[in-house]
Amino acid sequence: METIIEIKDLTFGYSSDQEVLKNINLSINKGEWITILGHNGSGKSTLSKLLIGLLKARNGTIRVDGLLLDENTVYDIRKKIGIVFQNPDNQFVGVTVRDDIAFGLENLQIEREEMIERIDSFSKKVDMFEYLNKEPQQLSGGQKQRVAIAGILAMETDVIIFDEATSMLDPKGRRKIMEYMRKLNEEGTTIITITHDMKEAVESDRIVVLKDGKILKTDTSTNVLNDKATLEQSNLELLLPLELLYYLNENHVDRKELKDYLWQLSLSE
Amino acid sequence: MKNIVIGRYVPGKGFLYTLDPRTKIIALLLLMAGTFIIDELIHMVVAIAMIGIILLIGKISIRRVYLGLRPLLFLLIFTFAFQILFNTQGELLYEMPLYYSPLTIGLVALVVVTWMLTKKYIRFKLIYFLIMVALSLFIFSTLNEPFVFGQGAFTVYEDALQMALFIMLRLIIIVTLSTILTITTKPTDLNLGLESVLKPLKIVRVNTEEIAMIISIALRYIPTLLDEANKIMLAQASRGVDFQEGKLKEKVMQIVSLLVPMFIISFKRSDELANAMEARSFVPGQPRTRLHQLVWKTLDTLVIIFAIGFLFGSIYIRVMV
Ligand SMILES: Nc1ncnc2c1ncn2[C@@H]1O[C@H](COP(=O)(O)OP(=O)(O)O)[C@@H](O)[C@H]1O
Ligand SMILES: [Mg+2]
Repeated sequence: METIIEIKDLTFGYSSDQEVLKNINLSINKGEWITILGHNGSGKSTLSKLLIGLLKARNGTIRVDGLLLDENTVYDIRKKIGIVFQNPDNQFVGVTVRDDIAFGLENLQIEREEMIERIDSFSKKVDMFEYLNKEPQQLSGGQKQRVAIAGILAMETDVIIFDEATSMLDPKGRRKIMEYMRKLNEEGTTIITITHDMKEAVESDRIVVLKDGKILKTDTSTNVLNDKATLEQSNLELLLPLELLYYLNENHVDRKELKDYLWQLSLSE
Repeated sequence: MKNIVIGRYVPGKGFLYTLDPRTKIIALLLLMAGTFIIDELIHMVVAIAMIGIILLIGKISIRRVYLGLRPLLFLLIFTFAFQILFNTQGELLYEMPLYYSPLTIGLVALVVVTWMLTKKYIRFKLIYFLIMVALSLFIFSTLNEPFVFGQGAFTVYEDALQMALFIMLRLIIIVTLSTILTITTKPTDLNLGLESVLKPLKIVRVNTEEIAMIISIALRYIPTLLDEANKIMLAQASRGVDFQEGKLKEKVMQIVSLLVPMFIISFKRSDELANAMEARSFVPGQPRTRLHQLVWKTLDTLVIIFAIGFLFGSIYIRVMV
């Protein structure tokens, strides 16, 4: 399998007396859907900013598609990785949807005709074609995030990082974004989902569990989700079905016991 | 926040909407320069008539232009009063004796008090005010008995009238032209036009593209920030801060309670926005292509020729005639 991102011994801190990321080693395959799962403040966003050179590593190396990240390659690497950020309002650059999708293309110095074609086709892809002339104030958070996705798709990057891209959305908007992630991954885009919500991790191929800047575990989603010890260590909120699964694995229960346990679980929610 | 509406883009049709923003900006400057050169009343009248025709052909609603002019009324009256009171050049056109006596002063004081008490019920405050001024002058000039202890004169000189009139007309023309520009041009187009018109400044190392980017981001975020300010005001109101009432000290506290969170939010916002922009391959100072391109049409050339003609016409008349 071809590697698209290779992180080796990566260490980073915002100040010299602090280490936000400690000795991170991770390689991500082309076409893979990987989730970086970690509690608030575990260093997920910091990692995504390091990947596109918005922050400079203290130690270690990052390779993207064979290119070693440094001052000379950073702009080329940014053409390969797109990020959808958490706050829909703080990444909408254009005055209209059309202008916003165009923004990245203008930076890449794409010709105007090509730009218009890409804006049309990629806005259709996220079902925002009818909204091209709308201003951000007229859109919901979910719609703004879809515009952000279109803006990155139009730049035709190999990798898209979703950094808690659904955390400010309502359930409907969240489901829609998850659908696009799946669709894009099926079409061959490498997807990195960054989240603290296990629900969003379930569908991906692999999960990296991050805690206080260290990788606790990297494995297939099934294996990670079955690993009660690691998840309990990770300071993350367990999913109800997972708790049930662990309970059933550990105990031989009859119907009555199961019913009581379910009651208990639902009350503790 | 309401006055932001003044001069805002109003979607519409007509030749002013199809003109290139560069044309409108340059023509605006040329026409303004022309009106500053004109120094004869008849020529000024011709210029105003011309602008009237532009408004008519362009199907611009006179009401919108008036709304743009209204904030200027005070300035206009002030200029007028200032000229009449202090400019004593030229021929004396009119003189009215004023008699100061306990009776006249008392009556005028009564007029002032009446005005202050009743003005809030009157719809046309300005006309009401002018009538009251006229009434006061009338009282001072006619009641010359008894106990007159002083005498003055209300005088109007030719130059005062002329200066006041010219300042007024020029102001009206400038504001009308700018209103035409801003209500017929989308902010993004206006920005694009400005960037293009300012391009020669690059010679003196002004980064016009960066200025344009800043303006366009400001345009993008002003509505969002206003929204945010509203939310904060609601939140503060729910904690008992009253933004309508209060003495000066309370007012200051209210504004602080609005500005501090606004400042913090804006700081965070700009940090995240900068990251998002860089993540999308924005590099300050690097060349970019543009989705919006300005298209110069024959009509634009004609309008520019007309505006240049207007400027040179004014110069010619000023120098030769
Ligand atoms: N700009 C910054 N300056 C200093 N410390 C920061 C900055 N951004 C984040 N941190 C700190 O780094 C740690 C990791 O933050 P972050 O990567 O944003 O976590 P996550 O995205 O997983 O919630 C946190 O402890 C946070 O307080
Ligand atoms: Mg984060």
